[in-house]
Amino acid sequence: MKRILSSILAICFCLFAVSSVTAQQLSLSITPPLLELSIKPGKSVLIAYTVGNYGDPAALRAKVLPFRAKDNHGNIVIENEFSGPVRFSLDNADIQMEQPFFAKSREKKQLLLRIRIPEGAPDGDYYYSFLVESQPAPGTEGVSSSQAQGTIGSNILVTVTGSGRIDIKGKVSRFEALKGFSLNLFGKKIKVFDSTDKIPVVLEVANDGKNMIKPEGDIVLKGNFDEQAKYELLSQNILAGSSRILSATPSAELRRPLKEPVSLVLSGFFLGRYQLSTNISFGEGTPNIYSQTSFIALPIKFIAGFIVAIFLTTYIVKKLKK
Amino acid sequence: MLFVLAFIVLPAHAGNYESERFRIQYGAVNIGGENQVSSGGYNLSVSLGQNAAGEFQSNGYVVKAGFQYLHSIIPFRFTISNTNMNFGTIVPQVPATQQTVLTVSFGGAGAYQVTAQEETPLKTLAAVTIPDTACDNESDPCTETSSKPWRNAAAYGFGYNMSGEDIPPDFSDSGFYRPFPDLFSKESPETVMTSTNVGKNKQSTVTFKVNVSPIQAAGSYQSIVKFVATPSY
Repeated sequence: MKRILSSILAICFCLFAVSSVTAQQLSLSITPPLLELSIKPGKSVLIAYTVGNYGDPAALRAKVLPFRAKDNHGNIVIENEFSGPVRFSLDNADIQMEQPFFAKSREKKQLLLRIRIPEGAPDGDYYYSFLVESQPAPGTEGVSSSQAQGTIGSNILVTVTGSGRIDIKGKVSRFEALKGFSLNLFGKKIKVFDSTDKIPVVLEVANDGKNMIKPEGDIVLKGNFDEQAKYELLSQNILAGSSRILSATPSAELRRPLKEPVSLVLSGFFLGRYQLSTNISFGEGTPNIYSQTSFIALPIKFIAGFIVAIFLTTYIVKKLKK
Repeated sequence: MLFVLAFIVLPAHAGNYESERFRIQYGAVNIGGENQVSSGGYNLSVSLGQNAAGEFQSNGYVVKAGFQYLHSIIPFRFTISNTNMNFGTIVPQVPATQQTVLTVSFGGAGAYQVTAQEETPLKTLAAVTIPDTACDNESDPCTETSSKPWRNAAAYGFGYNMSGEDIPPDFSDSGFYRPFPDLFSKESPETVMTSTNVGKNKQSTVTFKVNVSPIQAAGSYQSIVKFVATPSY
């Protein structure tokens, strides 16, 4: 009996005495996720951001850093140092920029971000990320460890303009159907697909101007019998001096995604020659731009299967006759 | 005959394309709003709904908040399931691994990215470091942008593997690793999750791995790895 009791006690001691190792969870949210601001020099605005802490209690810190476009599908590179004429500060009484503040679990903090453009600031676009980062806990003494620091950001696109005029220079830099195989037809390259293939289409617009642009428009697919389908372009921002692959909707999805993002995936049964065209506008008072491409769809797999079936049938019939 | 049948029976109806999974881009979710923006004499309000589109105007500036083409009740949210990767006592030639799950919800932000970067390699207070891994083959090493197999117990260093959704395609299996870009050496952060598709609760697992040689100095090695999640613009 004593043995049993001492065993139970030993097990209980082990269970309770072993120091518990708990995983520290970090979960942050931020709204709004994007801010676009057109502003005159000498003006300022106050924007209320809501930062939610859905993880364990955490020490957080807010800061603003400039960013630039990394690629043509909307990724960014956040710079390590602040630059540009735009001035940022927090109007909160108890929270300052770059100073830690505490957020309890399930607490939402409102951060009042003041954005000020000094008088004489040069016209142009300035892109920033408003970042809220966790303060990593110190590592445990005596063991080796790696602490994860989490940061959540919201992008701020500032266009400084004294006159209200902006420089819009957009062009279609790429518009084509991907995959398939290319056929040289009367000196013209044309993409050929099987009738049942999903057809990825890429539409890239380049911005050669000094200000960001927001293209609006659609991609239109026209078939042999004048039937047509319209796919609306999402009006995504293209930063000054960069290009971006736009997205159109509704789009199907590829079973195996391509390495590069696509604008649209066409799905269905296609037969014959199809024309894809796009008409893009950059706002009132700007000329529309137009581009087109085409592809051919043939029931290649069906024909191949049919030929194989004929050969097999002929072979079997001949064998049976013998 | 076959072609005639094909043209008669199977005309292409472009308006009726089938799709396994259409993306819903225009959800009209009107859930109200609240006053969020104020400026000397002005009160601007955020309104989550299709009609308002979060656009505010005032004299001398125009503010647009949120994505005009997407309105969602899912805010941009980033979760790290475990911020403390405790390797314990590292035994030479016995790789130690720790995992954390990154989750991104981004109903209101069409595209997003998560980047990773270490502040320094794993190091002690006396600045003795465990170098970043070069993976198994030092003549064809893994880099910050390209993972390679790291299975050999005699290959030392500190690195990470990714599995799950929206991860770089070079992490072809759980044996492929990369070193973290090092802020101290002025290496740029590298994207570890990215997508242009709308969705919620995109998850990936980061496996941290460390393996040291028998001549590595004993000590408590520490590092900070920064994960930065941002929606697109």
